[in-house]
Amino acid sequence: MKDGYYQERIRGVYDYISNNLYLNRPDIEVKGEHFNSAIMFGLLTCLNGGKELIIGEPGLGKTTSAEYVGSILYRYPLGVIWGSEVSGHPEQTEEKIIGRPDLGELNQGKEKVVWSNFAQIPVKVVDEINRLPETKQSMILNGVDRGNWEYLNEILINDEYCLFATANYQDRGTNTIIAPLIDRFDFLVESRHPGPNIAFTIGKEARLNHPLRHPQSEKELHQVLRGNKPHEEKMALAEEICDLYGEYMKENLGVEGLNKEERRKVKEEMMGISFDLDANAFVRMVLAELSFCHRYGQKRSVEACEEGCHYTGYLCHHIKNCASNRLPISVRNYSQALAWFLEDDEVDLEHIRLAIPYTLAHRIQWKDSYLSKKEGEGRNDPFQIYLAKEATEEIFQRYNEQREYLLEALAVGNKAFIGEEISPLDGDHPIYEEIKKDIGAKDEKSL
Amino acid sequence: MKNPFESFHQVGGRKREIPLDKILQSKEETLSKILNGYEHLLKNEAKDLVWLMQYSTVIKAYSIAEKGLEGIEYTAEDIEEFCYALDRSDQIPYLITGPAGVYISALCNYAKEEEITLHLRDLNVKVNLTGYRLPPNKKLIVEGNVGDFTGIGLDGGELIIEGSGKNYTGAGMKRGKIIVRHNLGFNTGHGMTGGEIIVGGRIKGLGKIVGGKIFEREHLVFPNEGVKPFYF
Repeated sequence: MKDGYYQERIRGVYDYISNNLYLNRPDIEVKGEHFNSAIMFGLLTCLNGGKELIIGEPGLGKTTSAEYVGSILYRYPLGVIWGSEVSGHPEQTEEKIIGRPDLGELNQGKEKVVWSNFAQIPVKVVDEINRLPETKQSMILNGVDRGNWEYLNEILINDEYCLFATANYQDRGTNTIIAPLIDRFDFLVESRHPGPNIAFTIGKEARLNHPLRHPQSEKELHQVLRGNKPHEEKMALAEEICDLYGEYMKENLGVEGLNKEERRKVKEEMMGISFDLDANAFVRMVLAELSFCHRYGQKRSVEACEEGCHYTGYLCHHIKNCASNRLPISVRNYSQALAWFLEDDEVDLEHIRLAIPYTLAHRIQWKDSYLSKKEGEGRNDPFQIYLAKEATEEIFQRYNEQREYLLEALAVGNKAFIGEEISPLDGDHPIYEEIKKDIGAKDEKSL
Repeated sequence: MKNPFESFHQVGGRKREIPLDKILQSKEETLSKILNGYEHLLKNEAKDLVWLMQYSTVIKAYSIAEKGLEGIEYTAEDIEEFCYALDRSDQIPYLITGPAGVYISALCNYAKEEEITLHLRDLNVKVNLTGYRLPPNKKLIVEGNVGDFTGIGLDGGELIIEGSGKNYTGAGMKRGKIIVRHNLGFNTGHGMTGGEIIVGGRIKGLGKIVGGKIFEREHLVFPNEGVKPFYF
């Protein structure tokens, strides 16, 4: 397979969606290329099996962008995606989301689960997730996180899946997304208004049938998903139907998704992309600022840091919670996916700087004082994403100032770790304290 | 426990190098090579700090300049840098405008770029012999004034002077075009056999012209009824 073969196909998908289905302006720039974030990150979510939360005003294409991307890339007809969607509302039940008992079997005294389409297919869309009451959000925690769906005494494990959830801005009908659930999302993207000129052209060409619909394949897939066969067998049969739908798309729409094996290869290629030293060190610096507390050892949402701390100028002073271990995983996956898409050999600072704000935006809990200070600033992004972008650039500036010294400090850390007699470097950033902790040069405070 | 710093094992001893440092270093190296070539030319051609402007000395100086430039990779910016170095006594110990002009012409003629622009408005020295033997498919634009013997022996190129020139401009040129935005001095086009000299301002005086065309403020001043071709 020639280099860039899959990337070319994915660019084809991007072009098809942006020219025909989801008309919007490019709103991100990376390495001189401009893309629309909702489509671009949607594709990366599909490719790396990520979990993306899409926010935006009603009717601005949050759900549809996810449906199109998932449908084309996984080659599931749009009707099946629609039929597998879970919508968030107060009366939603576990039986509709995950599965229900097979009533026929139950009448005969046997317990058997009929899994929902949502739990079975690899493209999962949860519409308006923040309309699910907080108590019911816990039902999907495990599924969102690991693709494990439990019902009665049975478990269905998705070996491959991606998940999109949409959320409206706060109104009377919405609830807060609970912290453990929101942390499980890798990425936060806004589906933006396309501007009046593009908006005017949307829907201009009335269509009788949506180009991504394929009633025959949809019918067959529904039959397979409803069937009694074991999950693995069902998925193998579904893949055959997806192959036919893929052929249909290729011939009629000129766009090619990826089959399961191709998706696996792409994932493998992505995971093989290493981080260059700058990207590596910069992510460490970001994580240090988001988890460090000079007084209490680490950030904890129940502990407020003191005024007048030496590290007042750093982000740790402006936030309440601690970065979870899912954060570096999200950063890694998405920056590798981005580097892969752009056909770069290594993940570098530009990939990282683009990806980090979207992985942070929904995870950081800012202090109220910081929020009120920043609230009135002019911006183009939603407040959360804006703050995360600002934070990333602030840390990047510090990184630029200290780059050489930080790399040396990390190198010294390596030498000390392998037993060399060497003093760790002191510096004015939490990362230097963390390096000392890792090499045992600084005693943890006694509890 | 796994070493979390393993990826930084090669960092020690590496010196930080920002792209600008690299560019500056390479620029300095190139300028130093160009200056060496110029000094070599002076040592051969102007041992007693005297250089007599003669047909044969120009040809000889040019061939030495050509040899001095062999193997040097440079751009139009480096030529400009050299021109400004002529103004600084710390870099050019002694300036003789004749060989300097021959050397600059050789630099322009052998540059990779087809179009070269030299921004020389702030240059105090008026370089002689600019555009000597400028070959076909080359365009040299000089922003600023130039000295004597500009564009002599022009060989098909296009020389544009965004300023004024002095005497003997275009002398002996064979083909090509010289455009001067402002004025020219005496003996303009002396011995030229072909090509065009277009002057936006005034020409103090024409030389003995064999062929070609000279325009002054859009009027053809050679050949015309008052000025006939000269036969040597």
